[in-house]
Amino acid sequence: MGEFFSNLAIGFGVALTPVNLLFALIGCLVGTLIGVLPGIGSVATVAMLLPLTFYLEPVSGLIMLAGIFYGAQYGGSTTAILVNLPGETSSVVTCIDGHQMARQGRAGPALATAALASLFAGCIATTLIALFSPPLAKVGQSFGSPEYFSLMVLGLIAAVVLAHGSVVKAIAMVILGLLLGLVGTDGQTGGERFTFGLTILSDGIGFVPLAVGVFGVGEIIANLMSPQQGRSIVGDRIKELWPSRADFRLAWPAAVRGTAVGSILGVLPGGGATLSSFAAYVVEKKLARDPSRFGRGAIEGVAGPEAANNAGAQSSFIPMLTLGIPGNAVMALMIGALTIHGIQPGPQVMTERPTLFWGMVASMWIGNLILVIINLPLIGIWVQLLRVPYRLLYLAILLFSAIGVYTVNNSAFEVLLTALFGVAGYIFLKLEMEPAPMLLGFVLGPLMEENLRRAMRISGGDPMIFIERPISLGLLIAAFILLILVALPMIRAKREEAFQEG
Amino acid sequence: MTAQAQGTKAPWSRILVQKDVLAGLFLIAVALLGLWLSRDYQIGTALRMGTGYVPRLLCWVLLGLGVIVLLQGLRAGAAEFGPFAEFWWRPFVFVPLSLLAFVYSIESLGAIIASALLIAVGAFAGRDMRPLEVVATAAILIGLCWAIFIWGLGLPLSVWPEW
Repeated sequence: MGEFFSNLAIGFGVALTPVNLLFALIGCLVGTLIGVLPGIGSVATVAMLLPLTFYLEPVSGLIMLAGIFYGAQYGGSTTAILVNLPGETSSVVTCIDGHQMARQGRAGPALATAALASLFAGCIATTLIALFSPPLAKVGQSFGSPEYFSLMVLGLIAAVVLAHGSVVKAIAMVILGLLLGLVGTDGQTGGERFTFGLTILSDGIGFVPLAVGVFGVGEIIANLMSPQQGRSIVGDRIKELWPSRADFRLAWPAAVRGTAVGSILGVLPGGGATLSSFAAYVVEKKLARDPSRFGRGAIEGVAGPEAANNAGAQSSFIPMLTLGIPGNAVMALMIGALTIHGIQPGPQVMTERPTLFWGMVASMWIGNLILVIINLPLIGIWVQLLRVPYRLLYLAILLFSAIGVYTVNNSAFEVLLTALFGVAGYIFLKLEMEPAPMLLGFVLGPLMEENLRRAMRISGGDPMIFIERPISLGLLIAAFILLILVALPMIRAKREEAFQEG
Repeated sequence: MTAQAQGTKAPWSRILVQKDVLAGLFLIAVALLGLWLSRDYQIGTALRMGTGYVPRLLCWVLLGLGVIVLLQGLRAGAAEFGPFAEFWWRPFVFVPLSLLAFVYSIESLGAIIASALLIAVGAFAGRDMRPLEVVATAAILIGLCWAIFIWGLGLPLSVWPEW
């Protein structure tokens, strides 16, 4: 227990410095902004701003990027409630009851509930991270290469299984990502792979052009093709902000349940904000005394999912920070950010760089507070921003993408790659090939190969080592079970049903 | 999803245009490309893996998965609308072109001109674009970028052409 408090003390010591407070604020503001604006998501934004963190201390950079991530969750709720447009995928569920509440003149309470539920969830999630990371990291430290390899396999399979859409296609995307990650020089043998003889590719494909291209530019192309939908913004003047006592009584248990759902699902790879918010909505609907209220402005339909998506977003940091395993696309980028600062992600991060680790954790709590403080007063501004037509917005996104990518390595070539990946990203979107598993595979690819090679060297070339070692065996069995579960028709139907709720 | 005309077999073009069929073909094509590109890489053994070991292994798996996706797509029958039903050529062409305009001008002409070119070309990708709006947007955005990236962050971007 004493350790818990001393760790948090280190963390707050770092997080409360003026520099880090500033970057937390910037991250939260930018995050809210892109969360509010549809057509630009947190993956592309984090990828774009990642290069700017090179000039900062690692912890400051990570604080800012993290702020963008969970800030986007807050921003997404605002648009979901006011405009019935989810700024982020995790806010889709909030649209359902949140917008109905706005229509009934209760936009204020809806927004306040969303913010408070998120704050509550954020605090709890941060505490959980502080509590569970040290033991988890200790487990991770006993991992050898075979265990790591199996863990990564489990992580990728879980990410695929829990994610949207066809499992086979998602696994194929993971493999595609793995292959793209292997482009460049083979560290072991010095041989060039897939480089077409271009020296510029011998260091591999950068993850920034890949992420910005596939997630950012691809989406722009797709958005420009679909006809613009008119947006009806509710509530030019938001009257009372505060929820009534009756609202409160219904909302707070939902927030607690949502936090629980989010904390558990967030830790699982493929989990995180979106899955958590969907699951929480289903839970609330099932537990409600009068389920017919849902879809018509039930406040639990806002409180539960909002708490869940914030808890989910933050707990998805746990596997990344403690084991170096990314659970979703943004975490994959965070790992990239760490690698570029020369920090090897894994359980040793906590022991070798406690200020980085605990500073980040403490900053998340502070970030939640910042978000509540800035969001409610600034809602008017966000609403005005929504009036900017997409035909001007996309130019801004394109320009920032180009400059952002260019400044990574002062490389125009990478902007070229971004254009290529943009086209690919559009195609992936239309063919329903999930890009997130590809990004996960891309980031993990080189690591997996290294662990595989080491494992083979340990075992003298015998693949049985993965099964002989108990932890590794356990992880592989878990992955196998997940695959079987998804193949079973009964679970398949439930899964599709769950995804259709939104 | 399966809207087959009564009594007639779905034409090949309709089946081919289905998203899983196209996805499967894409994956197969990538896998085959990968196998061809890596044809001369050393494979080595499990104990001492060569350059080509893991890549080729992955390509084979990808090939298999691509075939499965293709078969799933063929089984689903003809699609009512293809995945590219809403396709409009302008964004598809001008968004990448705008980035290319940036790529080929940033180093010789500096950030300001490159940004202006990007916006100018990119404007063709949008619907209902009004020239005055685009110019105004360009001015604001370029000013904003200058403020953030060059003045604020001091990034080593060449602003003006090097003459």
